[in-house]
Amino acid sequence: MRTTQAEIELLTKPLLTHELGSLAKPNWRVKAAAGAPIEEGDLEDARTWGRRLGIEGHEELVELLRRAPLDPDGKAEVKRWGSRYGVGFLERVGLDVVYDGEQQRSEMYQWAVAHAEGFEWRGSVRAFDNKYYSKAAVTGPIGLRVPYHNEEFSFVRDVARAELKVPITGAYTISDWSFDERYFTDTDLGAPGRPKRRRDARRSFILDVARRLIRPNLEALIGLGARWLQIDEPGGSTEPDELDLFVESFNVSVEGLDAVFSTHLCFSDYDLFFPGIEGMTACRQFAVGFANYDSRDLGVGEEDRPGYRVLPKFRDLPYRPVLGVGVLDIHTDFVEPPELVCDRVLHSVDVFGDPARIHVIPDCGLRTRSWDVAFRKLQNMVAGVELAKERLGLD
Amino acid sequence: MTPPVQSFVAAYQHGIYPRSEAVVQATRDLERGRTDPAAVDEAFRSDREAFLALQRRAGLDYLSDGLLRWQDLFRPLVDGTPTLEARVLVRWFDNNSFFRAPEGAETPRLSELPAWVLEDGIPEPRVGSLPSPYLFSRVALARADRDDLMAGVARDVLAPAARRMSDAGFGLIHLEEPWLAYAGIDDAAWDRFEEAVGAVREAATGATVVLHTYYGDVAPHADRLRRLPVDAVGVDFVETDLEALPTPWETGLVAGCLDGRSSVLEDAAAVAAFVRRAVDRLEPTSLYLTSGSDLELAGPEVAPRKVEVLGEVAREVRGETA
Repeated sequence: MRTTQAEIELLTKPLLTHELGSLAKPNWRVKAAAGAPIEEGDLEDARTWGRRLGIEGHEELVELLRRAPLDPDGKAEVKRWGSRYGVGFLERVGLDVVYDGEQQRSEMYQWAVAHAEGFEWRGSVRAFDNKYYSKAAVTGPIGLRVPYHNEEFSFVRDVARAELKVPITGAYTISDWSFDERYFTDTDLGAPGRPKRRRDARRSFILDVARRLIRPNLEALIGLGARWLQIDEPGGSTEPDELDLFVESFNVSVEGLDAVFSTHLCFSDYDLFFPGIEGMTACRQFAVGFANYDSRDLGVGEEDRPGYRVLPKFRDLPYRPVLGVGVLDIHTDFVEPPELVCDRVLHSVDVFGDPARIHVIPDCGLRTRSWDVAFRKLQNMVAGVELAKERLGLD
Repeated sequence: MTPPVQSFVAAYQHGIYPRSEAVVQATRDLERGRTDPAAVDEAFRSDREAFLALQRRAGLDYLSDGLLRWQDLFRPLVDGTPTLEARVLVRWFDNNSFFRAPEGAETPRLSELPAWVLEDGIPEPRVGSLPSPYLFSRVALARADRDDLMAGVARDVLAPAARRMSDAGFGLIHLEEPWLAYAGIDDAAWDRFEEAVGAVREAATGATVVLHTYYGDVAPHADRLRRLPVDAVGVDFVETDLEALPTPWETGLVAGCLDGRSSVLEDAAAVAAFVRRAVDRLEPTSLYLTSGSDLELAGPEVAPRKVEVLGEVAREVRGETA
């Protein structure tokens, strides 16, 4: 794996801040894409955020929305405006590395599967509360219909001023979130050797997704100039006895490719990743959600930060990756004060003993929060990092 | 005609059943301010009626409301217990699904169950599902000793809930126990677990109480498990090898015989043959047929077909098919 000096410098900037992927889609974006009527409140929302974020030419968007319902070209243009707003949102709060809040995608799993060969949809399954995702079954040979982030990346690259990191749903998560109607269809409960055949089939499924879907997609993005690719694996630790398959799928996806690769993990028992991820030597950064498990009280000691007790295990990985430390709970409207962010950061730096190995991030994508809440959370995250830098004597 | 293999065989669908696309849309719309609660209620009512009709068509013996309104397996209990809250999102075992972990007082006490838990419009005989006390105590965010919490939750939350369900006409109370199969249990916890289950059993006078394990191989714990003070103990045969279970079973058997997380449909005759083998080997005192895990994660397209297969399996096992 070849990594340029500039890329290494970017990764090791002390307390670098970035987002994790998704932001909520504004009503005007959702309605326009669905062909639904746009109301005055939606126009005002586009206008207000356009001004607030300093989006150049945002009145053009308002005029476009006034013409709704839109034809396919108009809908595509609205989605691109969504990207402009997403990039502007993340740049305005002051993050070091941004993307577009995944404004042009449907959802992290759905978007990937919709552009893949070999899958059929099987309806909505609940993730939690009133949140759901569309679930597909693998039914045929897996393939990449079309590189599904190229258009988006080319656009974002042209409108962003900050460094970019492209989020991509990983092979293990796509497999784990899908039904399998191709690789293992044996329902005979008493059949000899069933567990081994089930596991072998599972491995074939996961690695086919890595080889035939994810890797060509990564190659296409690198060809367009993408330098930092974040493999999102929220499903990564769901099955502890498959950690080896998760690691193998990551390695098969990225091995020999010329870019920086990181992985996002969230809402898991992170202990389960060890020692399995010792084999993920090509992973330069782990972006991990912790705030969801943490106390809201201030303090930098181990007892004060129960959500972060697994940090030493990431610190001690032999290939010394950077850790993106989640400091914002994305499942609540509670806006973490800068002081709380600061304490979480200081605790993490204390555990690692090196601020260059700590990045500061939300626990996960902020798409379940309103833009107003997400904005305030991220603003406070940046402010908290500044506080931490002051305390640490960093510029 | 195949002769019946068991004097008492009953089939039912346990746990949370998937919401239809109409309810998915309605609940999404409600959160985004695009519809009102009445429209959501109507969507739930329609789902409940459809699920009831499905269970009747399938010939199931106990009828469920599918826990369609439950946000997770613990939420109505948490909502009915003033000192508990549901905040932190935690992964539901090895699934792309999450629940909000109960947290709060070390001695929670159920005040009331939401009315829709008991008055669900489902005719008798009804089946209701509750978390097992062991599961509840292990998923809760608590500083208290887990076994003390288990005893307290059983006595003051689950037993009162089971009593109210029994009083409301539920004929079968199904305790969901995936934790034991997935994560195991310390030897030291068994006595308290037995007491806790016994407290729930005792409260539900007039109802059959079963405890069902899934999401893991329960064979290592089966010897003790079968002696729990319940009417039947459940095994997920998707994960547990029949040959590894002790014989005789000495109690009723809940045979989890369909894969609740796979979209591949089982062949009813083959499953029935497996169940007969299980009965021959284990000699249970009664037999209940259901899915291994519940069907929520099978989704609304696959789950109804699984329920139909379950009904076919029951008919095959009873020898009702030619």
